[in-house]
Amino acid sequence: MSLSAKARMQFMKDLGFPAMLSLAKATKGKRGPRKANPDFGPPLKCATRLKEIMTRHYYLSRFAPGARPVAWVTSGAPVELLRAFDFYTIYPENHGALCGAQKMGPELCAAAEEEGYSPDLCSYARVDLGHFFSGKTPAGKLPKPDILFCSNNICQTVVYWYKVLAHRLGIPLLMFDTPFNYGEITEANIAYMKDQILEMIPVLEKASGKAFNMERFLRLAELSKSTSQLWGQCLETMQARPAPMTIFDAFVHLAPVVSLRGLPVARNYYEILLAELTDRVARGIGAITNEKKRLMWDNIAVWYKVRDFSELFAARGMNFVAATYTNAWAETIQHLDMSKPWESLAKTYSLVILNNNLEHRLGLMEKMVREYAVDGLVVHSARSCKPYSLGQYDLKRLLSQRLGIPAVVIEADITDYRFFSEEQALTRLEAFFESLEAA
Amino acid sequence: MSPAQLPSRGDYFKQWRGGGGKVCAVFPAQYPKELLWAHGVLPMEVWDPPLAPARAQGHLQPYICSVVRQGLELLLAGGMDEVGAILFPHTCDSLQNLASLVADYLEAPAPNLFFYNPKAPFAAAAKGFYVSQLKALEDDLALIFGPAPEGAMEQALEWSRRLSGLYAQTYARRAAGELGVGGEEFYRLLRAGEYLHPRDYIPLLEAWLNEAPAQGGPRGQGIILSGVLPSPPDLMETLDGLDFRVVHDDLVSMSRRLLYPPPGEGDPLEALAESFLAMPPCSTRGSSLSERLEWLKGLAQSGGAQGVVFSVVKFCEPELFDLPELRRGLKEAGLPSLVLEVDVNQEVGGQAATRLEAFGEMLS
Repeated sequence: MSLSAKARMQFMKDLGFPAMLSLAKATKGKRGPRKANPDFGPPLKCATRLKEIMTRHYYLSRFAPGARPVAWVTSGAPVELLRAFDFYTIYPENHGALCGAQKMGPELCAAAEEEGYSPDLCSYARVDLGHFFSGKTPAGKLPKPDILFCSNNICQTVVYWYKVLAHRLGIPLLMFDTPFNYGEITEANIAYMKDQILEMIPVLEKASGKAFNMERFLRLAELSKSTSQLWGQCLETMQARPAPMTIFDAFVHLAPVVSLRGLPVARNYYEILLAELTDRVARGIGAITNEKKRLMWDNIAVWYKVRDFSELFAARGMNFVAATYTNAWAETIQHLDMSKPWESLAKTYSLVILNNNLEHRLGLMEKMVREYAVDGLVVHSARSCKPYSLGQYDLKRLLSQRLGIPAVVIEADITDYRFFSEEQALTRLEAFFESLEAA
Repeated sequence: MSPAQLPSRGDYFKQWRGGGGKVCAVFPAQYPKELLWAHGVLPMEVWDPPLAPARAQGHLQPYICSVVRQGLELLLAGGMDEVGAILFPHTCDSLQNLASLVADYLEAPAPNLFFYNPKAPFAAAAKGFYVSQLKALEDDLALIFGPAPEGAMEQALEWSRRLSGLYAQTYARRAAGELGVGGEEFYRLLRAGEYLHPRDYIPLLEAWLNEAPAQGGPRGQGIILSGVLPSPPDLMETLDGLDFRVVHDDLVSMSRRLLYPPPGEGDPLEALAESFLAMPPCSTRGSSLSERLEWLKGLAQSGGAQGVVFSVVKFCEPELFDLPELRRGLKEAGLPSLVLEVDVNQEVGGQAATRLEAFGEMLS
């Protein structure tokens, strides 16, 4: 790490970014406010703060090389380890969602396809590889990583994807192998994961040039835990009727717990968000103005359709109040126990929804339907995500049978809208709306 | 002994069951077959059952690969009703979820067994973990099929060592141009190992190796065949018909599993773990691209191959992700490649044959 790079990064943090932000605010003020949609309640005030945080994160990242070790990380990896070594972390999946929301998916996917990557592969991976080959990104510029950190607790896809990056960049790939839980988690699995974590520490010491400090690690792990717990509490406010935010809001407000977990900025953010949501609940302010039906979403968001879907459902008085996806960053955090850090870290990351059997998922969704008083289920069959999608047809059937709620499957993709048929989706949704309204 | 004399899967299954034999259906790809043999169980591997897709379509999205689809089709069509257990090794996301789908949401015709293969880059802890998986599978097999008789594990390891040697010999003879048979015959013989018990298979393979001509077979361009499995069936016929010499393969179901180092002496489970960790590189085990590339180049060099044909099952993520970098590296090494996307239950068709023909002309 160089002193000049560190000084430059500090300067941008203290002066450069605040100046840029002031300029952006001044420009925005001239544009005037966006026209309000009568189907929605007042927007969350926190949204402005969220935008600042994420913009700052991506903006400062370009000054990280040389100042801080940089890691590209998968969304389910135990980032607490990296925090202890002061890595600047970039989440390609979060970047993929950003590109998807900005409708850049097809362009970046095409850039990867030109290099030989099949259009049948995960579009988060294709977006990331497309960015890698073309340099295009709505985030300005992403820093090249010094190390790649990946865990297959969300899918095996990330292993294949990160292998490509490791090969192209000639940098180390740290893989946290989390055996899939076909049934209950076993002691052998926990021991294997714990041993891997312990093996990683010297590798990270070498990559970062810093010695491991247990006290610091525990402090950061505690920070990470409280961040995820706060996120969970934010989601729980949606049990109120009317719910103070929609799941489409939550898809966006999820970014800090994914990308900045283990940093004070993320925890501080969720304290503010929770306070705002709690206040809205107390005052009966709903995310939509006329909440008649409450829905649950399964799978990753359709990023390029978040706004359209949000408006489509709100216009019918339907609010998404729960999602397996947003819940994933809160569901297992209670396992993290500072008195047994390694075993509990292993359990926390192994028991996430996508590393757990489908019986678990069914049980979880049944529980969520009851706790959030859900009237109907929308299942996004995402061709990018096989571990999330394979089994959904039966999941939908079983949930409908057991709970007697209407459910619909829409075929789409997370970022690549070339694989989305709006007409087909709307036809299915219209039938779903009818059955829901008749229920 | 000729491949025509091989019993079919169906006939062998009936014969085995008729004799009171125990059977376990096994989904792809890598599993410790020695443990099943030790418990007197015949593993019958399920790669590409030739069934028309019907029932599975109600459970799987169109973007799920044909290996998973056909396996589920067999199960739903009653093809596993008479097995004692179904084993799902952890191979990829789709097979992982298929295992859970069958176990949790469908009425499985037999008890389900799971086996998690650790993924590369292997941590030092991987060996101990693999041993723990072997022990867990041993316990499950004992519960379902009864304990392994004394000496059965040693016998199973001995079969495994002999097969390892025979496979190595078979591949080496072909690479050296001393096996005058086409790909169709070669793979029919080797694929019989997916369902024959080693007690029956070893003598057949030995006899075939003794009797197989040193000369004959295709004499055209030498290629490496990479991908998942030598399927659909007409793929090998097409390659033979175009006079391609498959000098080696890099197929998940074949050399990536068959060219395993023979398990050593000493503790059987430790020996199996060491053998697993030293297997040829494979996308499904998370092997690095450098390893895979060097392996492919080495195969090409040893057999004098002039190019590589990738026969990739559509929607197979582990294979599709590795493809561009492998092709780039092969090209840099002067080895052109061709990609065919196949479904295991559909013929490769005339278009693929035309592309193969053009590829052969380019190599000449």
